[in-house]
Amino acid sequence: MAYLEKSHLEAVTKADRQPALGTSGYLSVFACALGLIMLAPPGRMLPAAALCMGAAALLYPASLLRLVQPRWLLALAALVVVNGLFNFQAEGAGRDWLAGWIPLSQSGLLVGLRMALRAATALVAVDGFSGSVSISEVTGLLERFGLRGLGFSVGIAMNLLPSLHRAGTNAGYTLWMRGGLRRRRLENFKLYLVSVLADTLRYAEDIALAAETRAFSPENAPRLPISRGKYDLPAWGMGLGAILILLFL
Amino acid sequence: MKFNTRQLVTLAVFGALWGLVEISLGSVLNALRVPFSGAVLTAIGLVVAMAGRMFVPKSGSTLFIGVIAMVLKLFSIGSVVVGPMVGILAAAVIAELALSGFRRPSRLAFITAGALGILWSLFQPFFTGLLLFGRDVMDIWQGVLREGERVFGLDTQAALLIVLVLALARLLIGAAAGWLAWDVGRRLLSRLNTGVQPAAHA
Repeated sequence: MAYLEKSHLEAVTKADRQPALGTSGYLSVFACALGLIMLAPPGRMLPAAALCMGAAALLYPASLLRLVQPRWLLALAALVVVNGLFNFQAEGAGRDWLAGWIPLSQSGLLVGLRMALRAATALVAVDGFSGSVSISEVTGLLERFGLRGLGFSVGIAMNLLPSLHRAGTNAGYTLWMRGGLRRRRLENFKLYLVSVLADTLRYAEDIALAAETRAFSPENAPRLPISRGKYDLPAWGMGLGAILILLFL
Repeated sequence: MKFNTRQLVTLAVFGALWGLVEISLGSVLNALRVPFSGAVLTAIGLVVAMAGRMFVPKSGSTLFIGVIAMVLKLFSIGSVVVGPMVGILAAAVIAELALSGFRRPSRLAFITAGALGILWSLFQPFFTGLLLFGRDVMDIWQGVLREGERVFGLDTQAALLIVLVLALARLLIGAAAGWLAWDVGRRLLSRLNTGVQPAAHA
């Protein structure tokens, strides 16, 4: 009886600790957002983008705020303006405006707006996904698709980045000081690559030895855990449902 | 796709280098709008990936290196990642398929894999532009023609010639990358004196 009560308590506590969305849930939002903007017909682009942006505002508002950065605003505005100025061959051309003395294509502006909406939605979807899940969760997910040992390799790769950067900088300076960039450039580029890789591979040899000493084996290593959320399944259902509704209704 | 611990570590080194090239050099080249920047980046990445193939001559190793580079690019800060991620993965898949078509690693296999992997960068704007950003096919097509005009000074009316020249340029860059990868891989093997003999002689 006591055991039952304890397990019940554990289950309730675990359910409380469980986040709303896990890795699979965030993947569903990401995949369905890309699916929606890729598949939505031009007439339904606005509701599709609104749905994706609404989900982004709820789940990762910081990614939505990235769009307000001047460089992104400029890039998105450029998509609309360039189409408005030069795209006079778009569907429905002829209904054009004059902004002062500048002719603007109404249909071009619409096409540009749709392109900007798609670009913005894709940007927010990718940024939101990469910001919401950790690198180990993504690799854990990929391991489940057959890339066994990827988590181990990505972990090593992440830790090798500083030493690779250092090896690259040192080899580059050495080459530069010896005048290696002035003549026989291809040969020196080969030497540069070989030096950087040889240096890092020697370091990697130590990592491999350490892993083998700890009896690490990719076959026996547990798969990297991926977090599970309370609403992962409903998120998939809602995302796929939204795609079906937008496409067929 | 099964690798032992040592192979996984080796693949991590090559994947990290491809990822580092994409994160550092990729951001600079894309910001400067250098012509053929995509092809050049993919070429450097493939040199690294194919050199890695000499160390782990098993099917799937090139793809594995590409996936590591793609994951590193996904988590890099403050840049556009969708296009490069698709580019890395596509190049790795094509190179992997091409290398798998040969019985064992050889210079010819590397040249073929490099050329085909980099040829993808000509078609990538159609894939990402059309599917992700909803660009018009004609718009992308005009972009390709403008690139030919800007780089080679060809008239935009000569569409077929431009496409052929652009494809040829990419094939040549790719073939050079394959040639270079074979040399780098062999030199690396002999320098490290790992006891692993090069899979085939040039």
